[in-house]
Amino acid sequence: MASNAVRAQVAAKWQESFARINRAEPGISGLMSFSHAWSLATAFLKPYDLNDPTPRPRHDMRQVREAFDIINKCRRLPVMLEVFLEDLHKSQHLIAREVEDYMNLYESNSDPETVKALIFRLAEWYSAWKPNAELGQTITSAYTLAFQTHLFSILPASFARGVKALVAATLVRTVSQPSDQQDRPLWQAFDTLSLIERYETLIASVGYEYIEVYVLQTCAGSWEEPMLANLRTWMINKIVPWMVWPFARGATNADEAKTMMQGVGSRFDFHMHKTLCDLRTCEIFDIIVDFPDSSGALQDLKECLQRVDQRAELAQSIRQANKKRLLHPGADTKDILLSYVSTIKCLRIVDPPGVLLFKVADPIRRYLRDRPDAIRCIVASLVGDGESGDSLVDDSEPIQPLQQPEIENYADPEWTPEPIDAGPDFRASKTSDIISTIVSIYDSKDLFIKELQVLLAQRLLAIKDGNFDRERRNIEILKIRFGESALQVCEVMLRDMTDSRRIDQHVQSQQSSVIHPTIISRHFWPALETSSIVMPGQFQDMQEQYAKEFTTFKPDKTLRWLPHLGRVQLELEFDDRTVSADVPPLEAAFIELFSEKDTWTVDELASRVGTVSRSAALKSLATWVDIRVLKEDGEHVFKLLSVAEEAIPGTKTAIKQATDELPPVMSVQQQQAEQMKVYWKFIEGMLTNLGSLPLDRIQTMLRLAPGYDRTIEQLGSFMEAAKREGLATVKDGMWRLGK
Amino acid sequence: MDQITSSLAPSRTAQKSTAPGSTTDGPGSVTKRLSSELMSLMMSSSPGISAFPKNDSHLFEWAGTIEGASGTIYAGLTFRISISFPSNYPYTAPAIKFDTPCYHPNVDIHSGAICLDILQDKWSAVYSVQTVLLSLQSLLGEPNNASPLNADAARLWSDPEAYKTQLMKHYRPLDNSS
Repeated sequence: MASNAVRAQVAAKWQESFARINRAEPGISGLMSFSHAWSLATAFLKPYDLNDPTPRPRHDMRQVREAFDIINKCRRLPVMLEVFLEDLHKSQHLIAREVEDYMNLYESNSDPETVKALIFRLAEWYSAWKPNAELGQTITSAYTLAFQTHLFSILPASFARGVKALVAATLVRTVSQPSDQQDRPLWQAFDTLSLIERYETLIASVGYEYIEVYVLQTCAGSWEEPMLANLRTWMINKIVPWMVWPFARGATNADEAKTMMQGVGSRFDFHMHKTLCDLRTCEIFDIIVDFPDSSGALQDLKECLQRVDQRAELAQSIRQANKKRLLHPGADTKDILLSYVSTIKCLRIVDPPGVLLFKVADPIRRYLRDRPDAIRCIVASLVGDGESGDSLVDDSEPIQPLQQPEIENYADPEWTPEPIDAGPDFRASKTSDIISTIVSIYDSKDLFIKELQVLLAQRLLAIKDGNFDRERRNIEILKIRFGESALQVCEVMLRDMTDSRRIDQHVQSQQSSVIHPTIISRHFWPALETSSIVMPGQFQDMQEQYAKEFTTFKPDKTLRWLPHLGRVQLELEFDDRTVSADVPPLEAAFIELFSEKDTWTVDELASRVGTVSRSAALKSLATWVDIRVLKEDGEHVFKLLSVAEEAIPGTKTAIKQATDELPPVMSVQQQQAEQMKVYWKFIEGMLTNLGSLPLDRIQTMLRLAPGYDRTIEQLGSFMEAAKREGLATVKDGMWRLGK
Repeated sequence: MDQITSSLAPSRTAQKSTAPGSTTDGPGSVTKRLSSELMSLMMSSSPGISAFPKNDSHLFEWAGTIEGASGTIYAGLTFRISISFPSNYPYTAPAIKFDTPCYHPNVDIHSGAICLDILQDKWSAVYSVQTVLLSLQSLLGEPNNASPLNADAARLWSDPEAYKTQLMKHYRPLDNSS
């Protein structure tokens, strides 16, 4: 049983509620008017089915407003909002049904237009149910939230796909016709339903993809001109008008729009740079090959790299491409060098401090160092070997002395620290010219000088007309590069050539001779191939006479003949004809012997001229057979044709007259092989006396051998070669002599 | 007729001068002498004798190998010796001893010490490692029985078979892996 107090409390509550709703109206008229207002307001707000054909009752907005006023005065608005949301919740199945219908259709036809229709329809629902704005912000936002929450919960995954397709379609339309306003209603519907916020990343991805495709289409493979400026204009003219729709909604003027789009705009801009950067990174090898026709692409790349930090990827890409396409046995050394030079030039544009270049160049340099013909190739291009066409050196570049790697001068006010991504052994090479860079592949320039001497020897000995101007010019140029002292030997070689001429003139004036020797100072010339042929008959006499004259002229010097080198001009008189020929000495020696008797065997001939290999002898005899002075009469028997004979067709000797070969100067490689023979003696000595030794110990012990300069890798491969020949064996890393 | 000749220039080995500081580890003339002796020994290829420094930084201690000359009782045997050069070499003879036990009238079987005139009072600076090694090789076949270090061996020399038995009893073949 309720106590009085409780009863009193309930009564007080009742009185309070009654007073609130009745608003001090007389009797219960207040209650009546509230009841009327309530039913009017709820009926006004109640969500209805758009598909219901019965016409909606028209509400008098004045009455509705009054009704809301009453409810508000009774402080009943929150309750009414709850009732409204409850009603909304009950009606949501209407929307769900339609969404399902549309999406089923979309899934079967994949037409973005279906999605578009759905979006318009949803917007229709939304505005149909939306409480009047005059009812205040609270109710509208509560409604919007409830509506969207429900909507997003029922939209299937395929809707996102549809939206994307739809947005992409609008982008294409806007790009082709920036002033087109056709999509305005769609964007407004998007906005109404807050789909833009929800699908912002999706919309942005449409933009990204579009930019990506466009960049790839326009820029792939076109490297002549910088593309970035065009791309930027394109972005401003084509993409920005579209961006205004989703990303600058409700902007009233251009400045406002600019501020709103700043974030997404810079993301798009970044994406454009990144796409171009990626593209150029992939293409970099071909860009380098195409240089200088690809300087535009390199400018772009440089700008992109400042925006997008992809330097490591670029270096990686070049290294990989080089490894796959350049640094293998199939590539010509000349091409590798050219490509290296191109790489240097290209990366200087992209990255002036040279960090990238240093990272990229290292494998190329290491590879070139292992290529045996690289030095010769470099030297040949240094002296401008015209025959090979494009030279490594740009003629317009000023000739400058080789630069030695300098020690950093910290006192220099211009000094800057190394770039941040420089490796530990990075050496700034900003000032080096191309030739210095190439020469620095090798640890010392001595190798170049040696190779240069060999090359010069070959070229000097090949000159027949006595015109050494070209070589003199080359040497003068090289002097600037390598320094005077390094080229002293070359200088002597050159002087030998002119001195020979002078000495010859003098000797001829004393006693004329048909011999015009080139006299070279052995000490300064690279090793020439030796041969022990002895000229028979008149040639020998001429040589001796000449040597005697020479000794009188230069008593402190002795001539040592290299009779196998040079050329002999002969005139052969036969019974019926005269044959003149310009042949190597061995040929001359043989034909002279034929004046003794008409038929010789090869072995007889060979024995008369000292030691000569059978194949060389046959080759020289073939020269004479070719010009029908001799004929082969049985196997390896040759007969002089005193009377010309017509060659029997089909029996013509296959061997052609020897063309002008380069004089047989020993190449640096051959010289090295010679040296290695000496070192083998030392290895033999140490292995005999010290037992078996590990490779590194052999390497250190070889320091005892004069001039030993091989690396342990070279020694290792040399020992492997010795092992293959059975000269040495190895067990557990210990080398010993083979039995 | 063009002929290529050469004036008589210094031999190729003289070009060493272009590779500075090639072998020596110090400026000492002894080291220089020793490395040039090494070079000529390596290039001489005399059969059956060989020697090499034990260490690349210290040229004064060498190991050598002597094979008994064919036709002598020592044929087919190989002896390891050690050579120690004094600091005033070549004015003083190098100290040489056998590491492999050598049964020989002029060699101490235990210490390996050698009694050879050119290693003692007859030493001259014109001798070299190579000449010393050659002398030792010939000493094996032709001992000087007048001043024996090993009296046993000197006595047995006239009896080749007994001598060979004694020789083989003491001989140990080289262990190359040591």
